[in-house]
Amino acid sequence: MLLELSSVSRRFGGLLAVADLSMTVEPGTIHGLIGPNGAGKSTVFNLITGVIPLTAGEILFKRARISGLRPSEICRRGVARTFQATALFREYTVLQNVLIGAHLLAAPGLAPALFRSRSYRERERQARGRGRALLESLGLGAVASQVAGQLPHRDQKALALAMALATGAELVILDEPLAGLTAQERAETTGVLRRLREQGTTVLLVEHDMKAVMGVCDTVTVLDHGVRIAGGTPREIQTNPAVIEAYLGVEEPGA
Amino acid sequence: MSIELLVQALLNGFGLAMVYVLVALGLTLIFSILEIINFAHGEFYMLGGYVTYYAYALFGLNYFATLVLAILTVGLAGVVAERLIFHDLRGRALNAFIVSLGLLWVMQASAQLAFGVLDKPVPSAFSGVVRLGGLVISVERLVVSLSAIVLIVALYLFLRLSRPGRAMRAVAQDPEAAALQGVNIDAVSALGFGVGCALAGGAGGLLAPVFAVSPAMGALPVVKAFIIIIVGGMGSLPGAVLGGLLLGGVEGLGALFMGSAAVNILGFVMVIVVLLVRPRGLVGGA
Amino acid sequence: MEPSKAEALSPTVGIAVIALAAGALPLVTRDSYYLDVATTILMNLTLTMSFRLQVSTGQINMAHISFMGIGAYASALLVTRLGWSFWATLWIGALVAALLAVPIGSVALRVSGPYYFLITFAFSEVVRLFFNNFFEGLFGGPSGLVGIPKPGRLLGLTFDGKLALYWLMAVLCVIVVVTLVRLDYSRFGLTAGAIRQADLVVETLGVNVFRFKLTTFVLGSFVAGLAGVFFAHYRQVLHSSDFGLEPMVLLVVFTVIGGTGSVWGPVVGTILMTIASELLRELHHYEILVFGAVLILTMLFAPEGLVALPGAARRLLRRLRGRAAEPAGVGLAP
Repeated sequence: MLLELSSVSRRFGGLLAVADLSMTVEPGTIHGLIGPNGAGKSTVFNLITGVIPLTAGEILFKRARISGLRPSEICRRGVARTFQATALFREYTVLQNVLIGAHLLAAPGLAPALFRSRSYRERERQARGRGRALLESLGLGAVASQVAGQLPHRDQKALALAMALATGAELVILDEPLAGLTAQERAETTGVLRRLREQGTTVLLVEHDMKAVMGVCDTVTVLDHGVRIAGGTPREIQTNPAVIEAYLGVEEPGA
Repeated sequence: MSIELLVQALLNGFGLAMVYVLVALGLTLIFSILEIINFAHGEFYMLGGYVTYYAYALFGLNYFATLVLAILTVGLAGVVAERLIFHDLRGRALNAFIVSLGLLWVMQASAQLAFGVLDKPVPSAFSGVVRLGGLVISVERLVVSLSAIVLIVALYLFLRLSRPGRAMRAVAQDPEAAALQGVNIDAVSALGFGVGCALAGGAGGLLAPVFAVSPAMGALPVVKAFIIIIVGGMGSLPGAVLGGLLLGGVEGLGALFMGSAAVNILGFVMVIVVLLVRPRGLVGGA
Repeated sequence: MEPSKAEALSPTVGIAVIALAAGALPLVTRDSYYLDVATTILMNLTLTMSFRLQVSTGQINMAHISFMGIGAYASALLVTRLGWSFWATLWIGALVAALLAVPIGSVALRVSGPYYFLITFAFSEVVRLFFNNFFEGLFGGPSGLVGIPKPGRLLGLTFDGKLALYWLMAVLCVIVVVTLVRLDYSRFGLTAGAIRQADLVVETLGVNVFRFKLTTFVLGSFVAGLAGVFFAHYRQVLHSSDFGLEPMVLLVVFTVIGGTGSVWGPVVGTILMTIASELLRELHHYEILVFGAVLILTMLFAPEGLVALPGAARRLLRRLRGRAAEPAGVGLAP
């Protein structure tokens, strides 16, 4: 078990956005989190990555408690994420964006930057190397010097993924990685996710594209109104009556 | 330390609080509509003071008519300033800060050149005191406070009931949604800035007989206005009233225990405490 | 950020230009007035560069000048009351400022954006009012603290004259410039800009944003304290108004007019605006009027600051040249 949520709840005033959620993610798998709009999926991501605090329960990563830690500390332990509204450093170039992601690989802090020791320079070289390799593997090699804010949507999403991967995380949490992409781009991205899985990286994603989710995920958790209503393989989910009822009347976005 | 002494101290503190609330409301209105902090706000207050000096003290116009004149003139000046300088700075706080600073200096220096540096006294329109039990309240301060309250209520009704007022509130809440609903953001920004400055001008007219008129008279009220809106919450009308009462009360009581110079520190301590405990202000949330 | 050869050169070139200019000035003039202006420019430069360090992470720290004051009063008191040497209090005063910056910064950084601006402004007023109204025996109250001696001898050199003090400030300034420029052109500077653009993203990528911002706050305050110590022993008189809103506002103006996007912005802004204000001084009331008008016009027509003008001009020229070449049928790459 790489990631474990244990009776996690999050309350916003009177609203219980996530209610007593327990779920696990196994290492080396792609796990999907699905549910109708407003089901609390993004909240779950924010809870896991420490962006908002839990109201109850706890979250364990590699058997150690991460709930209550700062997001930066959670990232240091091996959890990285992307955001639903693609969040980039728009004034920086693509390479600069990825270099920020590679922060954990480099020598952070005041003194190294000031005194430019050999280890600082060596680690910067490594960070740059990893950054460039990631950009190449995600099809961004040609635009490395372009300003991120001017990239087309597909490249922006790829860059966000590159930044998350640059941290060297074991668990990558992706918030709607396929949103706004054409059918071909979606196929490319799911291919990337499969490659990640082969390399041993675990992926947890939220997606609305059912076809893609069922096609690429090993296991799926279904949320509705903050409550886990089902979990299992895609096949099991598709035939689960509670799941079907939750989605009844909800229009599936065209695949 | 008798209760009477404490209540008198509180009353002294409240005395002019409502006028400072007026200034604060102008500032917070501009902040909520344009998302910028107008550091030249005190200069519009000063402008209102000078209009009052010339129209009432020199020309002999009725005091309340002068107040209306001050409000309208300064409001117009505000609209002009917004159209010429501020309308492109929506949301760009740092640049707006520098620009409003430049405007402050331009207005200050112009006032010094046009009116001279010396204080110009303005005769009180009202004299005498009112006695309630053992408490003493000057008639002038009473009239000034009541006039300020009238203006505050008028503003509240304007924002609640009139179409331009509701448009301003819509823009303050969500400019994009307001634009989608057909609200003319440019017009609302200009009007909002104008109304905000008009409030400051009115406050200047109200306090002109109390403090005399000088080019630098805007500095103190604007500092108090900042304290009030931070404590009460930026963008909140009831918050500004509450903040004004709180500041007045704290300063009034503080004057009993420390020298009047040291009392000024209390307002800033209040600000720090509020920003730590409840950064959005006591009533803030918008 | 693969630096082209030209880009990698520019920090060194920039530092060299500043160091050479500072070193060359006494060769051009020994006039007391010009030395004084130059010393003031260098002192302001350390203040604006350190202010800009914090601005680069998105912090508009209105209490920056207060740390200058803390360093100034700390050194003044240690020298006049305990007889310590300036050469020790120079660093101790800066250290005191930095130490106080830790709790103050930690508190201020609990809020962000306009609230951070306001809380630091409130802090600066509290500090100023504290120096003005409390412990008059120590700080001099509203009349100020007088009788602060000039720096004592060091390695046989005396520091009584304007020239020697100019050299002292020049050395301090160059050290500060080198430090801050190196930081800006490193991962540290890259991270600062990222925090300004999207601090939550930086946090989720593994950077403790609070600690980073606090580091810039404390480092900036150390430099401000350093400038404050020099100020105290240069002017030899301290008054709380030296560390109030007016000088702080000027610091902000110098920095923003120069351009906060670049580490060189404060250099351009400080030098040009200090000279401008000296030139305008002759005009008395008109000085402030013109100064204010300059601010308004600069912000309206050069919102990124003066340092960004050459870049904007270059882009404009390229576009014009591109349009001119079109009739020939040759497409020019932008």
